[in-house]
Formats: sequence, structure tokens, C-alpha cells
Amino acid sequence: MNEKPDAAGTGPDEESGRWVAELRAGHPRHDQAVARLHELLLRVAFHEVSRRRSQLGSIAGPELEDLAQQSADDALMNILRRLDDFRGLSRFTTWAYKFAVFEVSSKVARHAWQRHPPTVDELTWERLPDTLSPRPEDRLELREQLGALSSAIVHLTDRQREVFVAVALNDVPIDVLALQLGSNRNAIYKNLFDARRSLRAGLAAAGHPVLEEDGAAR
Amino acid sequence: MSDHVRHLDELLRSADGDAGCTAGEAILDAYVDLELAGEDPAAVFPGTAIHLGSCPGCRADHDGLLEAARRFGDAAPPE
Repeated sequence: MNEKPDAAGTGPDEESGRWVAELRAGHPRHDQAVARLHELLLRVAFHEVSRRRSQLGSIAGPELEDLAQQSADDALMNILRRLDDFRGLSRFTTWAYKFAVFEVSSKVARHAWQRHPPTVDELTWERLPDTLSPRPEDRLELREQLGALSSAIVHLTDRQREVFVAVALNDVPIDVLALQLGSNRNAIYKNLFDARRSLRAGLAAAGHPVLEEDGAAR
Repeated sequence: MSDHVRHLDELLRSADGDAGCTAGEAILDAYVDLELAGEDPAAVFPGTAIHLGSCPGCRADHDGLLEAARRFGDAAPPE
């Protein structure tokens, strides 16, 4: 499904237009503009690496700096190569920062996967996690619902079950799982979506539909 | 709605109209700038709004870009 990229904005604002013009080869301020953009991308990358610090385990300061530096460098190369793709749907800076955030996202996932790949336990279905396990004081209806969920998980396809158990039940980052399975985020998300749909339908068929926030059962 | 039931709803969230990861990547910058302008991005990009509610990877990217654009967005090119 495509969103409508022309649904927002009416072309670049004045400042964004100047960014694009100055970044083009041959502009008198090209070198200054590239340096200024790199400095901004570096700030964004450092900030984003810090924000995702929890995924990186015990890596030291210089490695964090290197990860941010590489992300900013790669983002800059991509931006300069794709200047013609900027259509002014956002500020130029927001468009450019997206490249830095995606680079950090990708590099952090790869780093996390190399250092701490998902364990067999995180990928294998055994039982519901403690946060979902029925408690003695839970209503009978809820206990039956959770029991039905456990049964329905068994009937997912192998890939759907693996993805659902890892991402939804064990909080394995979706990009780390994608690397582990030699896949990509979009494909893993599709597996997750299909698993959720199947489980929701399974619960409904077993007479235990899950209510959504508006109170409706779907 | 109890915590358990809410948790179950979130765990199995799979709403109709989900745009998926790829569609959202292309317009995430426009989505974020609408948010920062105080507008409702879900009105313009409904499929991405749904997707961000259920994809942890895209939600993390969105949160990072929103913060970056808020903190460092007002940066002019060299005069």
C-alpha cells in the first residue's frame, strides 16, 4: 500500500530551496554547505546513537563515536546522490535527518546482532511470558482467552511463530531478527502482521475474541 | 479495560489499512513535520499512522526523527 506523498506540502520552502541549491556541485558555497550539513548530520547521528544506547550493550565511547561518524558520512553521501528526490514535502533538514536516523537504525541493529544475536529461547515457542501468564486471581474468561492464545500460537506457520515469539513476546528488535533470518524489516513485519491476524481470528473462532481499545471485538 | 486485555490487544494489533514499512519510509519526514506544525499527520497519511502503532522498528525511527527535527531542525545553509 502506498501513502500519497503529494498529499502534504506545496514545494520547498525558501530555506530548503537554498539548501538544495548550495549543495549542488558548482555552487559557490558548495563546500561550506556540505560541511555544514555534515556537522548537523553528525549531531543527529550522535543523538540517535545515544537514544538507542540500550541496544548496544557494553560498547565503549570510541566505538559509539565511530558508529555515529560512519552514519553521518553515509547519510551525507546518500543525500548528495539523491538531492533531486527532495520535493519539499518537509523541511530539507527533516528530509536529510531521515537519512541519518535510518543509517543509525541499520548500523545499531547490525552491531547488536553481531554482539548479541537472538538466543534459541527467544525464537522458540514454549509458553507465554510472565507478563501474560494467567494469575490465580484472573477471571475465568481471561484465563481461557490466554489458554486459547497459547493453542493458537502452535497453529501458526513456522516463520510466523518464530517472528511472533521473538518480536512480540520476547522484544527482539525487528531489525535484529531480520538480520538473523537473512530477511528485511518489511518482510518480517508482514510475518508479524499475518501472525497477529491469525491469532486474533483463532481466538475469535474459539469463542474468546480480543477487544480493541474502542471496546469492539474484531 | 484491564491491563491484561489491553496488553493482549496491543500484542495482536493488526489494523486494516496498515501502509507497511516501505510506504512510511518514503514520507516519514513529511509526517514528522506535520506533527511539529501541530497538524494531524494521520489525516494526511492514515496508513502510516496505523503502521506506526504496530511496527516497533518504524516507530523507533519515527521517534528518533521527530526528536532530531525538533532539536536540530531550524538550521539554515551558509549565507
